[in-house]
Amino acid sequence: MSYRPTIVAFLCNWCAYTGADLAGTSRLHYAPNIRIIRVMCSGRVEPTFILKAFQQGADGVLVCGCHPGDCHYHEGNYKCLRRFKLIQKYVDQMGIEKDRLRLEWISASEGQQFAELVNNMTKTLLLLGPVKIQRSLEVQHLKQ
Amino acid sequence: MEEPRIGVYVCWCGTNIAKMVDVEQVADEVSKLPHVTISKTYKYMCSDPGQELIIKDIRGHKLNRVVVAACSPRIHELTFRKAVEKAGINPYLFEMANIREQNSWVHTDRTEATSKALDLVVAAIRRVQYHEPLQKRSVNVDPATLVLGGGIAGMAAALEIANAGKQVYLVEKTDRLGGQVAKFDLTFPYLSSARQLIQPFIQRTENHPNIDLFLNTEIKEVTGYIGNFKSKVETAENGTIELNFGNIIVAVGLKPFNPTVISEYGYGQFPDVITSLEFEEMLSNGHLLTKYGKEPRNIAIIHCVGSRNKKYHEYCSRVCCMAALKFVHEIRACLSSANIFEIYADMRAYGKGHEEFYALTTHKQIIFLMYDQQESLPVIRQANRNDNCNMIIEMDEKLSGESIEVPVDMVVLMVNMEAHENVKEVVRAVGVSLCGNQFFIEKHPKLDPVATTTGGVFIVGSCQGPKDIPDSVAQARAAAARILASIAQGSVAVEVTTASVIEHLCCGCQTCIRVCPYDAISYNEEKQASEINEVLCKGCGTCGSACPAGAILSKHFTDTQILAEITGIMSMSYKGA
Amino acid sequence: MSVRLNPDLRNELVQYGIGDWNACYHCGTCTAMCPLSEEGFLFPRKKIRLMQMGLGDQLEASVEPWLCYYCGDCTTTCPRDANPGELMMSLRRFMTSRYDWTGLSKKFYTSEVWELAWIIFFAILVVLSFVIVLPSFGFHYTSELTADGGVKVNSFAPIRIIETFDWAMAIIVATLLMSNILRMYYAIIWKHTNTKVSLWVHIRELWLLIYNFMVQPKFSKCDSKGYWVSHWFLMSGYTIMFIVIVVFLPWFQTEEILPVYDPQRLLGYYATFGLLFGLFIAIVGRVKKKEVKFQFSHISDWLFLAMLTLTVITGILIHIFRINGMPMATYISYIAHMAILVPMILIEVPFSKWSHLAYRPFAVYIAQLKKNAVPR
Repeated sequence: MSYRPTIVAFLCNWCAYTGADLAGTSRLHYAPNIRIIRVMCSGRVEPTFILKAFQQGADGVLVCGCHPGDCHYHEGNYKCLRRFKLIQKYVDQMGIEKDRLRLEWISASEGQQFAELVNNMTKTLLLLGPVKIQRSLEVQHLKQ
Repeated sequence: MEEPRIGVYVCWCGTNIAKMVDVEQVADEVSKLPHVTISKTYKYMCSDPGQELIIKDIRGHKLNRVVVAACSPRIHELTFRKAVEKAGINPYLFEMANIREQNSWVHTDRTEATSKALDLVVAAIRRVQYHEPLQKRSVNVDPATLVLGGGIAGMAAALEIANAGKQVYLVEKTDRLGGQVAKFDLTFPYLSSARQLIQPFIQRTENHPNIDLFLNTEIKEVTGYIGNFKSKVETAENGTIELNFGNIIVAVGLKPFNPTVISEYGYGQFPDVITSLEFEEMLSNGHLLTKYGKEPRNIAIIHCVGSRNKKYHEYCSRVCCMAALKFVHEIRACLSSANIFEIYADMRAYGKGHEEFYALTTHKQIIFLMYDQQESLPVIRQANRNDNCNMIIEMDEKLSGESIEVPVDMVVLMVNMEAHENVKEVVRAVGVSLCGNQFFIEKHPKLDPVATTTGGVFIVGSCQGPKDIPDSVAQARAAAARILASIAQGSVAVEVTTASVIEHLCCGCQTCIRVCPYDAISYNEEKQASEINEVLCKGCGTCGSACPAGAILSKHFTDTQILAEITGIMSMSYKGA
Repeated sequence: MSVRLNPDLRNELVQYGIGDWNACYHCGTCTAMCPLSEEGFLFPRKKIRLMQMGLGDQLEASVEPWLCYYCGDCTTTCPRDANPGELMMSLRRFMTSRYDWTGLSKKFYTSEVWELAWIIFFAILVVLSFVIVLPSFGFHYTSELTADGGVKVNSFAPIRIIETFDWAMAIIVATLLMSNILRMYYAIIWKHTNTKVSLWVHIRELWLLIYNFMVQPKFSKCDSKGYWVSHWFLMSGYTIMFIVIVVFLPWFQTEEILPVYDPQRLLGYYATFGLLFGLFIAIVGRVKKKEVKFQFSHISDWLFLAMLTLTVITGILIHIFRINGMPMATYISYIAHMAILVPMILIEVPFSKWSHLAYRPFAVYIAQLKKNAVPR
């Protein structure tokens, strides 16, 4: 079976998730390998979620929040950004390429941008190939 | 915890979902999962029979969890929550999988879309097992209201509430009431006097027994939450007074754009280039004269000064077009033979009576000249001695394609309405958000335009975005109605999906206190643990992800729930790989 | 190169019949609806803009108003009731006065008193010529001409003198008109442009002049075909009559009454019919005001129609009285005929409404030249 990268995406309820809904209502087509999880704010996304997604076999993880200054909760996206910088370094050290983990700002009106982002990230992941630590994790997973 | 008995319902949404997703297959596959008691498909789950189906099943099959795979939860989550509640289970024991907006509408391969739908439904099934019932809560409302700003919007709101017999504290930064409207001569489109409009308002506000007026006053800090706010007011006469109020109306208005930064217009350099507000003052005083004391023979009115241009403000100020046309009538009234040039980018006559006003004004013997707001602004230069005028405007006239020179003696700049520089202080004081243009953001741009995401705080008038008098007054009265309704009820519902602290896990690092944008967390020295004021908490979950000890539970978005969702979302694909 | 706005031009334009030119907000519906507007020659919208802005030179350099034949579609579809059709009509009046170097055209268009005074002045001159000047040169017609009862037109109005006068009038009118056409040509092709047109193109396209004068093919593109037909009858009748009285007067004005099928009489009858038919349609149209192009009548429109109608009626009267042998009535009709015809030709043709007989075909020709212009 050919390689189909799976993306797990964490989208904030107010901007990014609404933007992804807009992509739908606008019937914009994008790659089907993304799985979206709704959180109230990108500030809720904690490192565990990202690591769990990789552990479960995701080839990429995408976090989307409101644009700076537009956060529904004032500054949750900034908190997310700070945390993201750290987790990105950590993930890199684990042997997961930096490009597999992305943080992007998508507003409620940016359906088009969201569709482009998904296609864009899928392309990157196709070039990168399957996540390298997946095999070892798989072994552990089976053992469990 | 009792054994989960989950009912799964996959919606066809007519053909919207069923065309791209094999709904029967999805329902079939998930029926094999543990705890799934029943799994069905239906044409329109949101319809009355669809909801009835769920209710019947809950009762008949003793379900205690429900998953609906249909459209976006942003559309129908509340509908289904109400349905399950009707059947007697807690509305939060429900989860939705979005297989329309984020699946069937955006994908083109039926197999892929079906497999994705399956993943999303499995994730919802895994998640809903860990859902916990949450109880609705409410708080009492203090019947007094704080109104910030004594312009027409602030006064309209204050009078509405005060007339209903409730206490209002009206705080105005300057030494007088009236705001921008008090500076106008006439109003559009009916050319009625602004003074006759605002003066009775000011008198009624000043004399109203239910309105406590604080002029020359600024609010530094507001504490508390919806229904129970507190603030201190510094007054010249009585020193510091503490106020208690249940709701806040922010009506701090706007300020005119300073056109000095637009070098093309030479504002400040040419004495007869003036702003629309300076022109209003001139009209109110009844002397339409140049700085040299002469009657101007040629008057140009330049629209969109600082508006609709990425270099200054991208947004439209909405009222300037009509105000500029109003000026035409005022100029014509005193200078019947003067040449009037309306130098505009687009004529926006959106409001009631505006298009008619525009049509009427075109018959006033004026010359409309169109310029390109993005590409080339008109340039004002000093005229030569033999030009027989004071200044020359050079511009590319868009509708004729000609580069022209306009002889003028006076130029009126229709300046943009921009947010006050002090809005940031208001933001800090009352906890509302700003959009990119520094205007306050409403809770919902269409369905909740005067509320904010902070309960009990309402935004009215031009601080929410440029608007004219009727819109400001309408917003003010709308906010007043909302507040009076909550006062009448005596209590208001507050957010349920808040955070809570698991005290024995809390290590007392107080990281959560620093990240909370609502000051909802405090440290309880006695218990040596953080404490969350669930009335203030909005449930963003930032504290939950920041807590190094995992001691904070973001209700309805707990770690367990989200991790289960992640596992679920990957389970099928993982099997397939 | 930027041009200075002239806000005062609007006061001048109003006198040419431009009503509410401010109403237009430039949606461009008129230009889109116009069956004659084409790439490179777009109207009416852009011309209305030039009018609003008072750019006289730019207007003067426009050939477009003459390419409009006033079907009225623009006015019917205008969302602001700005009446673009009539604005173009008024613009033609303005441009006629701009081309005219004598300044008389402007006077006639902007002052009814002036125009009427000159018409009456010329009419009196004609009457005086017949009553005082001719007799003083020895033409004692009162007693002699009525003595034996016959109608002696050529003795009353000696063919040599009338023919000479006709020729002189034709030459004066043609000179004035041609000099104005040259000014029109200069304004459109050279003065406000930086292009030139080769001599060969000038020669190659000359046929357009004749073709357009004879057939008015552009006019026929407007929706009302019927009006084009009636106008064509009027035009051909008028042209035949004009040529006959100027070039072939000795053949046309005879003492002898020829048989009814003689070409002299047939041609005269055709011309009379053509004129009457065209005039009838125009007058009824302007009275009924059903069609857009007839809704707004400038004083010059009515004067033109009135004078032409009176000319035709007096011409018919001469004929009736002559063939019925009524000398005195014939002579009086003759004087009346000349008293209307002369001022009409002298004023209307070079300076007023009738100048369009030359401007229209020349405009098509000049537009064609403009299409072939190259940078100079």
